[in-house]
Amino acid sequence: MTTRSSKPTSHTLSGSQILLESLILMGVDTIFGYPGGAIMPIYDALYDYSDRLRHILVRHEQGASHAAEGWARVRNKPGICFATSGPGATNLVTGIADAMMDSVPLVCITGQVSSNLLGSDAFQEADVIGITTPITKWNCQVTKASEIAEVVAKAYHIAGTGRPGPVLIDITKDAQFEKVEYIPVSRVHIPGYQPVTVPNPRQIEVAAKLLNDAKRPYMLAGHGVLISHASQELIQLAEVGSIPVAVTLHGLSSIPTNHPNYVGWLGMHGNYGPNILTNKADVICAIGMRFDDRVTGRLKDYAPHAKIIHIDIDPAELHKNVKTVVPIVADAKQALTALIPLIKKVDRTSWLREFREYYDIEYHQVIKNEIKPTSGKIQMAEVVHELSIITKGDAVIVPDVGQHQMKTCRYYSFNKPDSLISSGGMGTMGFALPAAMGAQVASDRQVVAIIGDGCFQMTIQELGTIDQEKIPVKVIILNNNHLGMVRQWQELFFEKRYSFTHLHNPDFIQICKGYGIPAKKVEQRSQLKKSIQAMLDHKGPYVLEVACEQFENVFPMIPTGASVDEVKLSQNA
Amino acid sequence: MLYTIIVFSENKPGVLYRIADLFLRRRINIESLTVSDTGDGKLSRFTITVSADGALVEKIVKQIYRIIEVVKVVDAVDEQLVFNEVALIKVSTNSPKKRKEVNEIVKLSSAKIAHFSKADVTISLSGTPEEINNLKMLCKSYGVKEFVRSGRIALVKGEMQDRKNVLSMVK
Repeated sequence: MTTRSSKPTSHTLSGSQILLESLILMGVDTIFGYPGGAIMPIYDALYDYSDRLRHILVRHEQGASHAAEGWARVRNKPGICFATSGPGATNLVTGIADAMMDSVPLVCITGQVSSNLLGSDAFQEADVIGITTPITKWNCQVTKASEIAEVVAKAYHIAGTGRPGPVLIDITKDAQFEKVEYIPVSRVHIPGYQPVTVPNPRQIEVAAKLLNDAKRPYMLAGHGVLISHASQELIQLAEVGSIPVAVTLHGLSSIPTNHPNYVGWLGMHGNYGPNILTNKADVICAIGMRFDDRVTGRLKDYAPHAKIIHIDIDPAELHKNVKTVVPIVADAKQALTALIPLIKKVDRTSWLREFREYYDIEYHQVIKNEIKPTSGKIQMAEVVHELSIITKGDAVIVPDVGQHQMKTCRYYSFNKPDSLISSGGMGTMGFALPAAMGAQVASDRQVVAIIGDGCFQMTIQELGTIDQEKIPVKVIILNNNHLGMVRQWQELFFEKRYSFTHLHNPDFIQICKGYGIPAKKVEQRSQLKKSIQAMLDHKGPYVLEVACEQFENVFPMIPTGASVDEVKLSQNA
Repeated sequence: MLYTIIVFSENKPGVLYRIADLFLRRRINIESLTVSDTGDGKLSRFTITVSADGALVEKIVKQIYRIIEVVKVVDAVDEQLVFNEVALIKVSTNSPKKRKEVNEIVKLSSAKIAHFSKADVTISLSGTPEEINNLKMLCKSYGVKEFVRSGRIALVKGEMQDRKNVLSMVK
């Protein structure tokens, strides 16, 4: 069943034009894409739509899907990417899988060979529906122009509602050419898809009672808090109940880093206290997070004393990894709004103080030495720390994947919601440059990508896109000439057998200059602050390469298979 | 433990693929699978049997629900179900004596003869897995030329899927 728009325009359009009209009807104004044979009719139509649709030509389709992710996470609505059939579509796959893991709404449009050639191993034919089925929330192949308007409305709705995720529409070339009457479709009814957003009041009461009676309640905030714009509610609940709040990687920036109830970041390289005290909490209220293995450590020893309240919009997440006493299927904002009036003011100063005491230990044993070293080469943490001070915690930060990502999450002080865009679930190297580019297109705030030398070279060609589109994104390369995280594991767990983790790198400054992007390299600690300031003061895109210490490690660390309270502050701890 | 999972979904391509993938990811082998239209072309009914741990089945059921086209999922164990399979057995009957005896077995097991030729008869039986195994065993000494059985179809005893209700969701 579909809701047709009130004023049907009765004129004939090609499938390609219908696609673009339908996207505009959904409110789309930006597309990241790359043309090719099987999507040429759509690109031909796009030629006449440049006043209403900004198309950004990437340099590789993976860049399109990550850029659309970055865009989507700033705007909180589906990002759009176009690619041709076969290799164009398969190049999108990494970004689609990344979006699936991190609940990022994408609508991917791929061209496909003509319907009479389907299944015949035609030139640039790939079974894109088959390939993307396990990594999309929904996908669909279209062979008739008359189906396009409805499928686009359906795809856009599915991608952006409930637990967001990527969807893909594969359109055969003949359907792109075919001319039919265009009847706009603004809304669709999907019988099996009615996400529950309102919490069960009974469950909310039980949750409130548990929290009120708790001596050591603990809130864990995840990506869901940001997706549902529930930061204010999260903070309010924490303040009323005097409850400590820790965040997951995607929950970072859901509560300001300097908020008195904020106790830190959870997980393998998270903060000391938040991990250890998980196992002392008597009630845990987890909001919009999924108890990922990087957060829980050894599952059987996770939070042994805690009754767990789990709020998530996706029922399949409840009881998936951790047994829950109070499962609540709901939108995070609605659940928190319902909880707040039931929460009693209780003084929990001593419980909050325990976190502070652990922070002091971590500060003296780890943090101080990393953010304020006095000798040796520049360390990643001090770069992030300086950036945080200079930007006053107001920038949108896009780390790539590895040691520099962990240091970024540890040392940037976030002030506003939606300030960290990162590949958490998939851990996709090469994510940051295109994602930061997409985020900067979507945002008026300054976007800063923080990228390792390994990651940078996975999607380095997007410098071309940044230059062509004059996207004023700033890029910091933390160059340690290694695949740092793998090297760290080799040092700690593989007897220092540094198997293929050293990189002989090119001259990044020359490369940036070749792309027409100003770049500077900094090697001296004394020059660091000035160089970051100069980067931020520059009007357009800018790359700052920082020559970092080569053999740094990230601590604290919960070794794989260890419990959260076995977190180590150093290698010898 | 053997579980029967009954799924109602919109009758659209790709749903079977998505369901099968959920079992594949968890490395669970599907024991039997029956898919058919429920009558009006709009709704499909999947009957899947798997041998797995109950907690895991619960997780997979929730993940099946997540498939956009799926409107209802029910999981049950045998005690909660009325279920049947269909089997066809081609038995060698090259002598009148054999034919007579096989005929007797068919009558006793409430099966029927679907086809016969000079050399063999094909028996059709709809029944529980035990009844089918039993018939197959009885035919063994005469020479089973070919044997095929369907996947399970099942209904939950008493109040279950209000099919009208599920159908109204699709319309």
